Amino acid sequence: MASVRGCNIPEDLSYNVDNNVWARREADGTVTVGLTAYACSLAGEIVAYTPKKAGKDIAKDKSCATVESGKWVGPVKTPVTGSVVAINDAVASKPGLINKDPYGEGWVVKMKPSDWDGESKSLKAGGDAVSAFEAKMDSEGFKGC
Amino acid sequence: MSRAWRLIDTGMRSAAENMALDRALLESCQAGAPNTLRFLRFEPSALIGFHQSVSQELDLDYCRREGIAISRRITGGGALYCDQGQIGWELFVDRRTFATADMLAIARQVCGIAVEGLRSLGVDAAFRPRNDIEVAGRKIGGTGGAFDGNALLYQGTVLIDFDVERMLRVLRIPQEKLSDKAIASARERITTLRACLSEDTPSAASVQAVFAKAFTQGLGIDLEPGDLSAAERDLYARYRIEMGSDDWVFETDRPRLEVATASAMRKTTGGLVRVMATVDTVRERLKQVFITGDFFINPRRAIVDLEAALRDLALEKIDETVDAFFQGRAVEMLLLTPKDLKTVLHEALRSVEPQGHERVGV
Repeated sequence: MASVRGCNIPEDLSYNVDNNVWARREADGTVTVGLTAYACSLAGEIVAYTPKKAGKDIAKDKSCATVESGKWVGPVKTPVTGSVVAINDAVASKPGLINKDPYGEGWVVKMKPSDWDGESKSLKAGGDAVSAFEAKMDSEGFKGC
Repeated sequence: MSRAWRLIDTGMRSAAENMALDRALLESCQAGAPNTLRFLRFEPSALIGFHQSVSQELDLDYCRREGIAISRRITGGGALYCDQGQIGWELFVDRRTFATADMLAIARQVCGIAVEGLRSLGVDAAFRPRNDIEVAGRKIGGTGGAFDGNALLYQGTVLIDFDVERMLRVLRIPQEKLSDKAIASARERITTLRACLSEDTPSAASVQAVFAKAFTQGLGIDLEPGDLSAAERDLYARYRIEMGSDDWVFETDRPRLEVATASAMRKTTGGLVRVMATVDTVRERLKQVFITGDFFINPRRAIVDLEAALRDLALEKIDETVDAFFQGRAVEMLLLTPKDLKTVLHEALRSVEPQGHERVGV
């Protein structure tokens, strides 16, 4: 697994680097969405999670969930357009799971994408993602996870 | 990055109007509006945090009877009672204005400037994590934030005057309401500019002027008085209706039964220790805790600082938080030990019963 300044950035995921979110196409065609380890480090411990309701249609880069940490409230922006097919009950009862396992148990929503093939082209993966996060961390004065 | 910021004073407004302005100005900031410092005042308002539940936090019947408006903030943190005795300050700012993207560091920096403002009024204020501004351990203002993309809103209050009894009626806090003890206990945890400065208490306008100067110096900016843009007025008109609606206010409502009161009392060798707390039984978090008794502790504020460290904390982190608290500072106790405090906290947690007997807010 790739690591940028101590933050895990798995190379097999697709990222919107600006919004600090990842997407993973699953075998059943759905897309799992989550926050990156870098986003978690900037936020601190996440203490609340309010996802959009299952069935809701959400455009790319719009909020699919709202989270709170250190008295800050902010959106998680879905990297692809689609409808919410699942929210994470484990995270609802323990929002800190997002920090503990951002690419696993701490996923944010699962979406049914409306145009994965088209939209995923604008997401970054592999080495491109790693270098984009390196540049982002540099511009944001980030020391490390 | 431009040094020129806009200064807006939106005056005394209702809960829904203030929340609508927060949302309109944050959205406008994201669309490229200039960085803005806004001052605001409050008609009597009970304001819950974005993720909070009216039923769990507020005595809705009391608020309705007394004409206290209820709304839900777009920012994080806990429930507040606000009225004409406080001022609010808010920054709407592009996050790239700050040298860091670390949200806690940004909050600490902004709070540090608010602390400087209070100090220049002659009040020995300090920042207390996670979001209080305090004087000798007593809270004189709270803060919280919201962000969307690169737009940040960070806001705080300053208590010039405060009606502690009314707050105790409005908020569901783990105290026997309105007993002399509860009122005295709340007064030990909250202070105001009037309590600190008595006849030298500044007017709201003077406090705002001092804070404007503090932000000017602290951020290295120039403030230019301005007004809402036409686009902001349109957004405000739309959100004013939404933010006052039950759909918005109760969107995150949860059953009152999820929150339990915990209490325990124990005679230790160091004295009597009493713990009262509210616990979110679903998320397994300590919401709020009060520790009282006749034990000796010096400085006295240490116990209130400990309460602040324990607020909104995962239950599994109680022991490590208590230990870290006492390792991190010089606290003198006579016979009472951190272990005693942990024991009483855990006894309180074992006492947890759902509050089925209390009325549910909706």
